Amino acid sequence: MNIAQVITTINQTQADGVIERYAIGGAVGATFHLEPVSTLDVDIFVTFRHEPGSLLVSPQPIFDYLAARGCKMEGEYVMIAGWPVQFLPPTGPLVEEALADAITVPVGETPARVFTAEHLAGIALQVGRAKDKARLLQFIESGVLDADRFQAIIVRHHLVEAWQRFTRQFLTDTP
Amino acid sequence: MTFDLHQMLASKRAFRHALAARDIVEKLTMLDELRARALTLRAAREAAHDSSVLREEPAPYGVSAKSNPS
Repeated sequence: MNIAQVITTINQTQADGVIERYAIGGAVGATFHLEPVSTLDVDIFVTFRHEPGSLLVSPQPIFDYLAARGCKMEGEYVMIAGWPVQFLPPTGPLVEEALADAITVPVGETPARVFTAEHLAGIALQVGRAKDKARLLQFIESGVLDADRFQAIIVRHHLVEAWQRFTRQFLTDTP
Repeated sequence: MTFDLHQMLASKRAFRHALAARDIVEKLTMLDELRARALTLRAAREAAHDSSVLREEPAPYGVSAKSNPS
């Protein structure tokens, strides 16, 4: 089990032209900015290549590429270096922007593309499950968020109301 | 060791900051270990729920002795 190996494999997938660009999100992405966040899988957001003559985008070339290199499929996951990895397309403008603005962080000798803290926090606010709210609180308490950048994301992606609800619920004494 | 809640919370915050500030290679190694531990715990939990193991059933909750003659 080696998550650094997962990153190396994803970089190779990109270098071989199977994916255009990628960024690590979810708990693993959050770990680049916060204390380690325990998780059972790795979320990789990717822009899929269009197959010639097809308007549809498909993750199949990724699966074929990785299967040819000995990775096994388990449901919607690909097992890489002992980790279940899920390849996710951008689900909306916020994730598309997060993918475009992702930062490169060196993991030893290996570069890794990761969502910014502000985008991870914005996505957590938008998704809004209990664990996402907990993560958003972690981001706020840790002080890693650039307030101006985070606020711009909230406004741009129509999350002001969700943010106000969140602050009432978690950041004020009187809900 | 202290039972002062404020001090405990401050200490927890400081510990989390120290963890967050560690090198990313180290933090990813921690994720590997946390996942291995989670899988071990899950396997142990599943083994504990093995149907071949005889287990004492807890008394039914909220049922009076009258309505439950056994």
